[in-house]
Amino acid sequence: MKIILVCSAGMSTSMLVKKMRDSAEARNLDVEISAVAESQLKNNLENLDVVLIGPQVRYLEKKIKQQLEPQGIKVDIINQLAYGMMKGDKVLDQAIELKG
Amino acid sequence: MKGRFMEKFIEIAGRIGAQRHLVAIRDGFVAIMPLIIIGSFAILLNNFPPLGSFSFVEWMNGILGEGNWQAVGGSIWNGTFAVLGLLVAFSIAYSLAKSYEVDGLSAGLISAASYIMLVPVTEDWGLNFAWLGSQGLFVAIVLALVLTELFRVLVNSRWTIKMPEGVPEGVARSFKALIPATIILILVGCFQALMSVFAEISIFEVIFQVIQEPLQGLGNTLPAAILIAFLNHLLWFFGLHGTNIIGSVMEPLYLPLIQKNLELFSSGVSAYDVPYTVTKPFLDSFVFMGGSGTTIALIAAIFIVIRREKNHPYREVGKLSAPASLFNINEPVIFGLPIVLNPAMLIPFILVPVTLTITSYFALATGLVPKTVAIIPWTTPPILSGYLVTGGSWRGIVLQLFNFAIATIMYIPFVMVGVRALKQQIGRE
Repeated sequence: MKIILVCSAGMSTSMLVKKMRDSAEARNLDVEISAVAESQLKNNLENLDVVLIGPQVRYLEKKIKQQLEPQGIKVDIINQLAYGMMKGDKVLDQAIELKG
Repeated sequence: MKGRFMEKFIEIAGRIGAQRHLVAIRDGFVAIMPLIIIGSFAILLNNFPPLGSFSFVEWMNGILGEGNWQAVGGSIWNGTFAVLGLLVAFSIAYSLAKSYEVDGLSAGLISAASYIMLVPVTEDWGLNFAWLGSQGLFVAIVLALVLTELFRVLVNSRWTIKMPEGVPEGVARSFKALIPATIILILVGCFQALMSVFAEISIFEVIFQVIQEPLQGLGNTLPAAILIAFLNHLLWFFGLHGTNIIGSVMEPLYLPLIQKNLELFSSGVSAYDVPYTVTKPFLDSFVFMGGSGTTIALIAAIFIVIRREKNHPYREVGKLSAPASLFNINEPVIFGLPIVLNPAMLIPFILVPVTLTITSYFALATGLVPKTVAIIPWTTPPILSGYLVTGGSWRGIVLQLFNFAIATIMYIPFVMVGVRALKQQIGRE
C-alpha cells in the first residue's frame, strides 16, 4: 500500500510520516509512506493508493479529488487533532480505513 | 462566528490559495529561493563584520589578494539576485504551463526569451542589469502569465507541427512548440517596436513607475506590515496556511525591497542606513519566531503556567512541538493545542504578532537595531536568525529576546484561561 501526505512544503508532514512508518513497522504492515509538496504530487502517482491532505492546505481537497479519484486513488484530509498531536497510528488507521 | 460566515471565509481563502495563476507565481518564487538565499549569503559573507579582532573578509583577501575574495560573492550575486526578473520569468511560466499540463520547459524558455527581448539595451550593446533584477519583477510576472496563457492556447490548437510516429519524444516536442513560439516572439517583437516608436520608453520603466514603485512604497509602511501580520494569523486561526495564501502577493512586493537593502549594504552602506524597514526577513525573524503566532513564546508560557501537572494536555503539546518550533515549524501547536478555532487563543494569536510587528518596526525605524540585509531560510532558528538578518549585529538578537519576553508575558493570561476552560469542559463531560 502506498500513502502520500500532502502539505505546502512537505516539512511538518514529514514529521508525521516518520511516526506513521514507526507505527506500520510495529504492526508489521507493508506500506510505503512519504510526504510531498502539492506541486510534486503529480510526479508520484504510480501505484498510489491513498492521498492524505494536511489540514492547513485543506483547500486543495477539491482540486486533488477531481484529479485523483477517477484514477481510483482515495483522498481525504488528515484528522486535525491527530495531525497536531502527531499521532502516527491514528493517521495510519485513517489511511487504511480509506482504502477499505 | 461559526456557521455560514466561517464556511464562506474558508471557501474564499481556499479559492485564493488554490488559484492557478497565484499558485504559479508562488511556486515560481519558491523554485528560485535557493538561488536567492545563496546570493544573499554571498553579500553577507562579503560584508561580514569582524568578530573581535578577526576579520574573515580581510583574512580571505590576505590569501587571494585585495578585492579578489569579494569578487567571488559579487559574481554569485550577478547570477542570482541581480537577474531575479529573468529567473522568475522562466520559473513562473514553467509552473503555470505545468499546471495546464503543457510543455513547461518550452513555456519557460519562451517567456525568458521574451523578457530579454524587452530589456533595454545599454549604449555599448549590453543588457541593462538594472532591469534584469527586481526592478523588472512585475514585468516578468505579467509576461510569464500572459505568454503562457497564449502558449497553452496555441499548443492546443491546430497550429502545431505534428511529427510522424517513431520520432523521439524530445524532438517531437521541440517541433510542437515551434509555431507557437514563433507567433509569440513575433508578437513580443512587434510590441517592443511599437513601444519604442510611439512611447520612446521601455515597458519596464512604465510598469515600474506606475505600479511597482507606488506599491513598494506602501509595502514599507507600518500599516502594511500590520495588515500582513493580521491577515496571516486570521487565516491560520481558521486552520489555513496563511503564509502560503498571501505568499503570491507578498513575494513580488517585498523581494525588491530586500534586494535594494542588500545592494546598498554590499556597496558599503551600513545596515542602519539602508532604506527599507519592512521586508520578509523582518517578519520572519522578529515576528514569526517559532512559526506564525510567535508560538515559541506560547510554548514558553505553557511551561511557565503549568508546572505541576506533568501530563497536562497543553504540556504534552508543548513538549511534542518544542523541537520543531526551534526551526519555526509549528503545525503541531496550531492543530494540536489547538489554536485553530479555539476562542481562548484567538486574541493572543493575532494580537501578539501584531504587537511584535509594531515594536520591531519602531526598533528598526528609529535606528536602535540595524535593518534587514540578508535573506535566510525561514527555518533558521531565532537568535541565529536575528544575528544574521541584521548583517551580524547583536542588537538583532536583543530585539528577538525582547520580543520573545513580551510575547510570553502576553500569552500567559490566555494560557491560564485556556487551562480553566479545558478543566470545565472535562468536568462537564
